Amino acid sequence: MRVRNQFLIALAGLLSVVTFLSGCSSRPAVPAAPQHPDISGVWLGGGKGSWSTTRAKPGTEPDIPYTAWSLERMKGQRPGSGSDSDFENTTDPALKYADPLGFPRQYQHPLKFKIVQTDDYIYQLWEWNKVWRQIPLNKPHSDDPDISWYGESVGKWEGDTLVVDSVGFKDSTWLDGVGHPHSEELHVIERIRRVDPGALRIDFTFEDPVAYTHPWISQHTFKLVPGGKMTEVVTTMSDELHYRERFLQQKPAVPIRR
Amino acid sequence: MNRRVFGMFAMAAGALLMPSPALAHHGRALIYDTNKETTVKATITEFVWSNPHVQIGIEAVDANGTRLHWLLEASSTGILAERGWSRRSLKAGETVTVTFHPGLRSAPTGDLIKVVFADGRGLQAGILR
Repeated sequence: MRVRNQFLIALAGLLSVVTFLSGCSSRPAVPAAPQHPDISGVWLGGGKGSWSTTRAKPGTEPDIPYTAWSLERMKGQRPGSGSDSDFENTTDPALKYADPLGFPRQYQHPLKFKIVQTDDYIYQLWEWNKVWRQIPLNKPHSDDPDISWYGESVGKWEGDTLVVDSVGFKDSTWLDGVGHPHSEELHVIERIRRVDPGALRIDFTFEDPVAYTHPWISQHTFKLVPGGKMTEVVTTMSDELHYRERFLQQKPAVPIRR
Repeated sequence: MNRRVFGMFAMAAGALLMPSPALAHHGRALIYDTNKETTVKATITEFVWSNPHVQIGIEAVDANGTRLHWLLEASSTGILAERGWSRRSLKAGETVTVTFHPGLRSAPTGDLIKVVFADGRGLQAGILR
C-alpha cells in the first residue's frame, strides 16, 4: 500500500512538471514585447495628384529627372484633374477604362487604407476598389517576378523603419494622377515609419532607367483615422460610363411646365 | 485663452473642417463654376447611392422663377459615409435646402456642397481633411 501511494505521488508530480513545461512552450504567461514598431491602423489616403514636391507644371518639375522617353509621353497625357486637365477627353487609364490605379498611385486616393501587421507579413487593404497588397517580410524577390498592376513587394525592418522593395509593374498605369509614366523596369522603395501616434510617414524612391535618368524621391505623411470603418467603394466601367452619360452630356435646362 | 490665440485656434479648426474637393476622380472646375454657389429649396426626385459619385435629382425654382430639374453629384459613398451619410439619407419627395456649385455652360447639373433638412439638421458633402 505504501509503495502504491509513493508511486501515485510520484506520478502526480511528474504530470505537474509535464503540464507546466507544455504550458510554458505554447502559452507564455507574459506576452512578449512587440519586436517592431506598430504601424497597424486605418490611415487616410494621400488625396494628392502628383509625386513632385514642387508646384511646377507637369513635365517641367525640377525634381523629376525625365528621360526623352517619359517627357514625350508626358506631352500626350490628359489628366482628369489638376492644372491643364481635360476630364471629358482624359487619357487617364483609371478614368478612361476604369483600370486599377496601380502602385504607387493607389496611395494617392483620398479614401482610407488599413495596415494589418503580423510577424511574417504586412497587409495593406484599400477601400477604393477593394485593393489589397501583401508584403512578405525577410524574403527575397521571386527569380522572375510577374508583371502586375500592383507589382511584387518584399519588406524588412531596419530599426523603426519598414523598408519595402517593389518591382514588376504593368507599364500602362500612371505613377500618379498627373500622368507621370513608368516602364516595366520601375523599382519603388518605401521607407515607412510611424513618426508619432497619429502619423505615418512614407518616403518613396522611384527608380526606372527607361523613364528617369536617376532615382528621385517623394514623401507623404498619412493621418491616422482612429476607429476608422472600412467601407466598400468600388467603381466599375459601367459606373463610370453611367456617370459620364448623366453628367457630361446634359443639355441646357428645360423649364418644367405643369 | 486670449482672443488672438482663440482666433488662431478657431481658424485652424475651421480649416480642418472645411470641405475640400475629391481629388481622385475629376477636377471640379472643369464641370462646375466653383466660384459660384446656388442655394435653393428643393424637392428630391431621386437619390442614387453609387460610385464614382452619389447622384441626387432635385426639382426647384431658380433665381428667375423658373421651375427646373437639376442633377447634382456628391463625393463617393465612402467619403460621404465618413460625413454621416447613408443610402437612406434622402428620400424622393422630401423637401430640403441644397447648396451647390452650378454646372458650366448652363448645364442643369451641380456639385453638392450641403443639404439642410426642414428640422435644421445638415449634411456636408466634402472630404474632411
